Amino acid sequence: MKRVLAYLVLAAIVAAACGGGGTGGTAGTSPSPGKAIKVGLVTDVGGLNDKSFNQAANTGRLQAEKDLGLQTQVIESKKQEDYVPNLTTFAQQNYDLVIAVGFLMQNAAWKVATQFPNVKFAIIDGAPANDKGDTANLPNVANLFFKEQEAGYLVGVIAATMAKNKVGKATHNTLCSMGGIPIPPVDHYIAGYQDAIKTIDPSATIINGYSNDFVDQQKGKEVGLNHISKNCDILFQVAGGSGLGYIAAAKEKGVYAIGVDVDQIDVAPGTVITSAIKRVDKAVYDTSKSVKDNSFKAGDNFFSATNDGVGYGKLDSVVPADAKAAADKALADIKSGAIKPKTDLTVK
Amino acid sequence: MATEPQASPTGPATAPSVRQPAAQWATGPAVPVVSVAFALLVGMLFVLASGHDPISAYVDLFKGAFGSPYDITETLIQTIPLILAGLAVAVAFRSGLFNIGAESQLLVGAVAAGAVGARFASLPGPVLFPMVLLSGIGAGAAWGAIAGYLKAARGVNEVITTIMQNYIVVFVMHWLLQNGPMTAPNALGTPASAPIGDGAVLPVIIPNSIVPLTRLHAGIFLAIAAVVVFWFLLWRTSLGYELRAVGLGARAAAQAGINPRTRIVLAMAIAGGFAGLAGMIQVSGVFHRVFDGFSAGYGFDAIAVALLGKNSPIGIVLAALLFGAFARGGTIMQANAGVSAQLVSVIEALVLFVIAAELIVRILAARRRGPKPIEAIT
Repeated sequence: MKRVLAYLVLAAIVAAACGGGGTGGTAGTSPSPGKAIKVGLVTDVGGLNDKSFNQAANTGRLQAEKDLGLQTQVIESKKQEDYVPNLTTFAQQNYDLVIAVGFLMQNAAWKVATQFPNVKFAIIDGAPANDKGDTANLPNVANLFFKEQEAGYLVGVIAATMAKNKVGKATHNTLCSMGGIPIPPVDHYIAGYQDAIKTIDPSATIINGYSNDFVDQQKGKEVGLNHISKNCDILFQVAGGSGLGYIAAAKEKGVYAIGVDVDQIDVAPGTVITSAIKRVDKAVYDTSKSVKDNSFKAGDNFFSATNDGVGYGKLDSVVPADAKAAADKALADIKSGAIKPKTDLTVK
Repeated sequence: MATEPQASPTGPATAPSVRQPAAQWATGPAVPVVSVAFALLVGMLFVLASGHDPISAYVDLFKGAFGSPYDITETLIQTIPLILAGLAVAVAFRSGLFNIGAESQLLVGAVAAGAVGARFASLPGPVLFPMVLLSGIGAGAAWGAIAGYLKAARGVNEVITTIMQNYIVVFVMHWLLQNGPMTAPNALGTPASAPIGDGAVLPVIIPNSIVPLTRLHAGIFLAIAAVVVFWFLLWRTSLGYELRAVGLGARAAAQAGINPRTRIVLAMAIAGGFAGLAGMIQVSGVFHRVFDGFSAGYGFDAIAVALLGKNSPIGIVLAALLFGAFARGGTIMQANAGVSAQLVSVIEALVLFVIAAELIVRILAARRRGPKPIEAIT
């Protein structure tokens, strides 16, 4: 029984240590009377430093806070179980807009958005999905989609042009890619990439794989080393944090890599030749702005080459001028509608 | 510890009552309390270094975990699997085994519960729920027993086997749920199984009219029951006595007529059963289906919970509550104070650091004192 008491003391001390400042603490969370628009961002399990779309979303949030005078906060989700309570936390605090970053939060967003019809929500890469998995538009949810296949197509043009002309270390005309999990936003990138390669050189070898993870770099590296052993010259990663391991494999073995979502040329200079870019920051910024301007649009919102929502990133000096010219021509053709990159994989 | 069956529980009758509280404090909660306090203090430096006010950060951390009825229920939801996985680690510790496999035992229990719950979804609750419950516990126990068997029969270190088992389960789950027999045709875009039947669902125990939106489910009663079972088994049954005897010294126990081999298998099976129950509760109470990679390390946090709780029932409950509160409060602290939720991981690591340091000191001190058997982790 003495032990029970002792542990109660432990609990009391912990509680005191946590709550000790309660009376003296500042109540800094009460909204100012000026009623700034409040925007809350919830990341998926990739976290803020994924050098990918969570990070990009946060960039958009900070930009919106700075330019538009919004009040914003972010919560990083540590596990899937946290999605619902994290979204609920912002909704309960009467945020004007709650942004769920990532396809994986479709069901969580549906659950919370139906409970808070007066709060606006946005899902990056997804639409609300009920418990059965059926997606359905809700009047208070904006579904922010990207035409990843267009970005994939552009980097595919660059890669295939280099491989066809055997530029630098690209000597085997073998082009590879790795996704995190085979979900639509990932496969769209890869589908566009493969479409471009097949269009430019039907004889090129294409290999695709998955790390089955968006976080673990080691898994991505294993897939990368396996691909390189099969003569891959250029490795395109679509796997968030796990994909950084795929790039690391390329760096280690002295082949080329292509980054994804954000400009990843700085991840491994000399290895990363360009990046397939999806302007998640622009989607977050524009949606936040739409709430401020009262022009919020529920349902599907597309970000594509046409509205500069996707594109390709900075080019390494090894990329020849003809590859860049081909990519720019493809970009113009996509904008004009002359090219419509595929959304289904050519090689699984 | 007070309830240890020591050789001379009464000891020399010369004024023990004066000395005992201090001694109990020193061998009991002193280290956990000091380690938590130390971790919170050092954590303040990290908050300061990141340019925030440590007091308001901790206030937000506390408020996030206990600030409203909804927050408390969310903290409890985080706490439930930590309690059960903590028991899984502690049973093994008490039996002289280091169970790193609570994570995979938990996942196996979840997969089994999810598979049975979905396959027989149409059965009524009174039939389906016991099936799901027992399949979760049974699968976890069987999976744990494998490591126990390898240790008992072949002398394979359970640390190695349980770590390897973790990898096996993670990859088998990828296969099962991403493109395998359990993959639901329309799985919310996330690799997941089909939903379990309504009869297998643990109901939410607080009406939404009292705490709106709460998800707190009846699994909390199962967790409490498991703590009682843990205590009763270890300290009130002969099997529990034997397990602890093996844990304190397998050779001595063998001399006393206890077969350590069978006890090792049993200990790992019981450990796996607790962890399997944790997985089953996550499926039946929180997700109502199995998601690929849903756990994110309960089984590993459980090691910290068991160490901090000194493998005692109440200690584990309090340690799990602390870690559950950190998990819930950390996200809210980030939302309100802007302090990264990673601070919580730093604090948890510091807690473990102090506990590990204390263990090292004790082992070294025991060595210096001579060939007396080192006291097991108690």
